[in-house]
Amino acid sequence: MSLLSKNRFFRNKIWIRRIVQAFFFGFIALISINHTLVTTGQGIPFLASASLHAVCPFGGVVSIYQYVTVGTFVQKIHEAAFILMIIGFLMALLFGPVFCGWVCPLGTAQEWVASLGRKIFKKKSYNHFIPAKLDSALRYLRYILLGWVVYMTAISGTLLFVNIDPYFALFNFWTSEVAVGGLAVLGVTLLASLFVERPWCKYACPYGAVLGIFNLFRIFSIRREAGTCKLDLACDITCPMNINVSTKTIVRDHQCISCLECTSEARCPVAATVEFSTGLKTHETKSPEILTAGAK
Amino acid sequence: MKLTSFPLAIAILVLMFGGIGFTTAMNWWKTESTKIPAKYSEGEAAGEFNPADIRGSYTFEAIKDSFGIPLEDLRIAFRVPAGGNTAAFSVKSLETLYTDLPVEMGTASVRLFTAFYKGLPYDLAANADTYLFPEAAEILKTKGSMKPDQAAFLTAHTLTADLQIPVDAAPAIEATLQPGAESAVPAPTVHVAAAMTVTGQTSFQNLLDWGVPSEAITALLREPMPEPAMLIKDYFAGKGVEFSSMKGKIQVEVDKHK
Repeated sequence: MSLLSKNRFFRNKIWIRRIVQAFFFGFIALISINHTLVTTGQGIPFLASASLHAVCPFGGVVSIYQYVTVGTFVQKIHEAAFILMIIGFLMALLFGPVFCGWVCPLGTAQEWVASLGRKIFKKKSYNHFIPAKLDSALRYLRYILLGWVVYMTAISGTLLFVNIDPYFALFNFWTSEVAVGGLAVLGVTLLASLFVERPWCKYACPYGAVLGIFNLFRIFSIRREAGTCKLDLACDITCPMNINVSTKTIVRDHQCISCLECTSEARCPVAATVEFSTGLKTHETKSPEILTAGAK
Repeated sequence: MKLTSFPLAIAILVLMFGGIGFTTAMNWWKTESTKIPAKYSEGEAAGEFNPADIRGSYTFEAIKDSFGIPLEDLRIAFRVPAGGNTAAFSVKSLETLYTDLPVEMGTASVRLFTAFYKGLPYDLAANADTYLFPEAAEILKTKGSMKPDQAAFLTAHTLTADLQIPVDAAPAIEATLQPGAESAVPAPTVHVAAAMTVTGQTSFQNLLDWGVPSEAITALLREPMPEPAMLIKDYFAGKGVEFSSMKGKIQVEVDKHK
């Protein structure tokens, strides 16, 4: 990476997010590999070897009904999934779906494929292939899937979602535990990521649907200062979830993943204009400094 | 109050790993079910581990730890190849290991073997279609602590040398195995062919032939019935669900249409 491109990377992107994402991707991959190794009598010392079901917070969500009515967890779900669900909810209450934007390895995998798609189709075309009206309607599909998964799990007591779960398939494709349906959905998701940013998250992820609801009342939100905004649409163009940040003063969209890529810290060229904040002023607002030099 | 990416990253890591660390310290963090079976609450075996609570996720080592059965006996009894990691062998693996047998060899067989090995009470009538390999029977005869009714049951529920169901025992309900029917001397068993009994060899076509409507099967599966010729056991194996955990529900549906 040349010095110039390295500078661009650090200036226009939330680089720490990339590092956190890579960390969690590697961490979950190692746990999953270790789980396989342990069943064959090997295993990596000092590393967890839990089943992927045990470290997926969505397992906690689908277990709520059974836990409340019967007092037990759904098959293959344990206390850890419930705890991660609570941690996920706490983070979402504070910061919105940061689990999606910073932690979820499936989201990370889609972003990695997306970087290739962006190179192929260039920024203006990439992530804008689906007509806006259709795209807008499709965004609610994930709530239908959420309802179906929760209902089916409640009446069957088994993790039926695992049969189409691309997250489980991503970290278990080498085992006999993975269902063909899961592999197919994973393949379609990764392929679609070449054209659309985070297609699974936008249209299908039931856990993202749950966390998205927190955007309506989260404590820290993306806020735009209309008075200093140049309306150059940089925030809209960069948003992976296609949210029109430039038309809002506060982003309450259920699809926002709190990636901060639209903020003045990353893509917005005007300082203190798009920020992640509570809205409570703790100091006097400084005069906006327009950071245009070398930004484009 | 505003937050930039670096403090947010720190907050995420602290909440994630702090939460996990705190719940681990409180002993709330569990990533697997405890491999300790429930105990009998009453009767002569009160306080002892109950083999009926052995789950498909248990490893042979967990069974050894709870019931004191040597790993080598478990390995030989269930024909697990030598040289592998017997301790880590999970009970549910048996269901996929023996798909060609005329009977189901899975979790129920391990429960039966364990109960007979330790001479613990076990519901034989509910296990009329559970069988063991000849090797398992040999081990039980030499090392087990079977009661007379259990010994009689074993005789009728040991596969033959060519792994077939004993001639007089094809899925059978033992008339001698009524609750409380124990005698000092093994009584000759009277086998009554159990028609319409769900086993590992039952296909969806069998269910239809037995009068179970396809709508009832669909309702049971929560999805459309697959090809009728498919074995029910294979269907559930493909779904990652233990056949033994579903067999009872299907049998209830079959019994409704007898």
